Amino acid sequence: MCPLGRRRHLLLPVLALAIGGFVASGQAVPAAKPPARPAAPADPIALALARAEEGYCKENLPVLRRTMHRLQDKNLQYKAGMTAARCAMGMRDGTAVMEALLLLRTQFPQDPEVLYTAAHFLSSLANQAAQELARTAPESHQVAKFNAQSLESQQRWEDALAAYRKILEQHPKLPEIHFLIGRILLERAATPDAAEQARAELLRELEVNPKNASAEFVLGEIARRSGQWDEAIQRFARASTLDVGFAEAYLALGMTLSSASKYAEAIAPLERYVKIVPDNPAGHYQLAIAYARTGNKPAAERELELQRKTAEKAPQRRAPNSAPPQ
Amino acid sequence: MPETVGPGCAFLDYDNDGWMDIYLVNSGPCDFFKPSKPLRNALYRNNRNGTFTDVTEKAGVPGNAYGQGVAVGDYNGDGLPDIFLTQYPRCILYRNNGDGTFTDVTAKAGVAAPGWATSATWFDYDNDGRLDLFVCGFTEYSKEKNVYCGSKQMRSYCMPNAYPAVSSWLFHNNGDGTFTDVSKESGIAKELGKAWGVVAADVNNDGLLDLFVANDKVQNYLFANRGKGRFEEVGLWGGVAVNAMGLARSGMGVDAADINNDGWLDLFLTNVDNETFSLYRNRKDMTFDDLAIPTGIGAATMPYSGWGVKFFDYDNDGDVDLLIANGHPDTMVEKRIHGVRYAEPMLLFRHTGDKFENVSAKSGPIFATDLAARGMATGDFDNDGAVDVLVGVNDGAPVLLRNNIGRQNHWLGVRLIGKKANIDAVGARITYQAGDLRGSAYKAGGGSYASSHDPRIVLGLGMRTKIDWLEITWPQPSGKVERIDKLPVDRYIIIVEGEGKWR
Repeated sequence: MCPLGRRRHLLLPVLALAIGGFVASGQAVPAAKPPARPAAPADPIALALARAEEGYCKENLPVLRRTMHRLQDKNLQYKAGMTAARCAMGMRDGTAVMEALLLLRTQFPQDPEVLYTAAHFLSSLANQAAQELARTAPESHQVAKFNAQSLESQQRWEDALAAYRKILEQHPKLPEIHFLIGRILLERAATPDAAEQARAELLRELEVNPKNASAEFVLGEIARRSGQWDEAIQRFARASTLDVGFAEAYLALGMTLSSASKYAEAIAPLERYVKIVPDNPAGHYQLAIAYARTGNKPAAERELELQRKTAEKAPQRRAPNSAPPQ
Repeated sequence: MPETVGPGCAFLDYDNDGWMDIYLVNSGPCDFFKPSKPLRNALYRNNRNGTFTDVTEKAGVPGNAYGQGVAVGDYNGDGLPDIFLTQYPRCILYRNNGDGTFTDVTAKAGVAAPGWATSATWFDYDNDGRLDLFVCGFTEYSKEKNVYCGSKQMRSYCMPNAYPAVSSWLFHNNGDGTFTDVSKESGIAKELGKAWGVVAADVNNDGLLDLFVANDKVQNYLFANRGKGRFEEVGLWGGVAVNAMGLARSGMGVDAADINNDGWLDLFLTNVDNETFSLYRNRKDMTFDDLAIPTGIGAATMPYSGWGVKFFDYDNDGDVDLLIANGHPDTMVEKRIHGVRYAEPMLLFRHTGDKFENVSAKSGPIFATDLAARGMATGDFDNDGAVDVLVGVNDGAPVLLRNNIGRQNHWLGVRLIGKKANIDAVGARITYQAGDLRGSAYKAGGGSYASSHDPRIVLGLGMRTKIDWLEITWPQPSGKVERIDKLPVDRYIIIVEGEGKWR
């Protein structure tokens, strides 16, 4: 139902480092399709763009940063943003890169070049931070954890498990390691036995770190999948208390309360969920069912309409049909 | 795309000799397919010794287009089962002449349902005592509208989203050998879908047969029969239209049965891999709870793509078990999705109270055999009281499974014949008492996928050697309740509406 591997805790430090002025890779992102030279170089923006493209980044980046947010011409804004991002990367100005990328991601969220540039920058940033970590603290548990996570991302489950367990040998009270082991156990095999082993690891995690909302959530999900509604409700409720911004916990809590026919109780967490994540049909559907089964038909109809609208925009799970050959 | 989804199959007693014969659908010629050697459907007469004889030519039921499924029903009430074939680009109705032959009466009957039809079911929606016909429509499709999917290097079959949705058909039986297309005025045509499976069952106990229709990548439809020939689609309100995440799944096979003996019919739905199948418990107010997770169905079906599905008591212990025929529709799926296979084994679940236990591994080698299974019909071809299974396999030989366990328990087989109610007794409910066992069975219309079942109902008794009584609630317009006692066991009987006895 919900992704077991929540990435936000991993991504946030990277963004914080970037915004804080972390020096990006020295390699500028190559432009796949260089923007056309502006037609009217007399315009200060167009002039700054043209000059920046010729390599005069240092002189023109400040102009681009000042003006790119308020440009009305979308084409020009795109070019200004992309040029500012590339210049800033070349100048290793992490703050300026993030500024340009945030603008581009907001204004041109589906543009492949914007996505590529963002991915390239963040990946370089992550690599550089990892190298620095390995250089400055090679024996640290952070390096060991990083290596284990790398193995995990390659789906080398046994190696990753061994790496995490080695960390625990030296740091038995280190938070998150039992959680990560539990997550691998669930990813590796969807069997009742695996779920039981994962459950044991997650309970150990809570002994080490009782405030781990993710561990509570996954324990709730294990209980939900085996139809143990009471335990699932308890776990999801605690996850949402430990982390009030944990949207999936509200959804899971509402769904499970509905599964247990506690529709009236399901309404509050589901209402909370649709406020946080209004574009997911799951929240609207579950809320519609809960409203309907507690006699609030107008509210149920409203939510069903939102469910229909959001479901139309939801990505298809089965692969879409490829385009015919040209 | 029609190549990937057939064939259906049927058990029927076309010659009324008390032994189940077999009908198999095949992919005949049509505008997009010209077979190099002649292909036709097949009717096999049961030789009563475990073998069958191909009587298709004599019977005159070869089909005449790209076959998909079959629905058997006595639409003209003459006591002989007739055969309706779903096909692309037109369906056929074969009337049983009673002399071992059939006549194609499609044109006169007016039930060609042009386009691409998949499953169909006979049921009496307006309680006039005659069997009407529902036909599933699956997308707007023709040779000209065929879409190229895949890559330049490798063409593959399209997902349903490549084709526009269509409405299904409802035909009213006029009682004179003709039918009237009432799809529009009934409200059925209002809902466009991509329908694979259908079951007709009275889910709200109002005496009117409702329809549960499985759609692929479109929400499933629960057509509530509101009487006076009108249906209202209530799937979303009912909780059977989409998954818990509010998204349509790839609904394929459906069935209905009262799994917990509470007098209310529950529903089953098969989907494709990683969607899990659904077991919907009736909440008695036209809404349902999905019990897939707590019953164990969810985890067990996660990797599978299900088509044919049937609730039946395979071990005759008195409760309703479940059998599912699987196979992914995409021939290229193994290259696309890790861990998902094109050909998959069937699944057998034993009902154990609150759970459905997956007993496939201990139920014979067929449950470890990969099949591109599609249609599935249940029927007792050797009359031993153990309900057997027929499976239609895509691009492969059909599979006929003999049930070796059901005969280890006692049983009573019942054929119901309606008089005021429809002759096939679709919609009839049987309850029975055998010592401490209170059992029930319901005769749904259709169910499974593109297939048609033995019309007889087998009541499992476990080790009990006596059945105290059985009670039949005949469908409307009869609605009569008849209780019959002094019943035999371990044999088939016939009960005719109103006679108050068995024969």
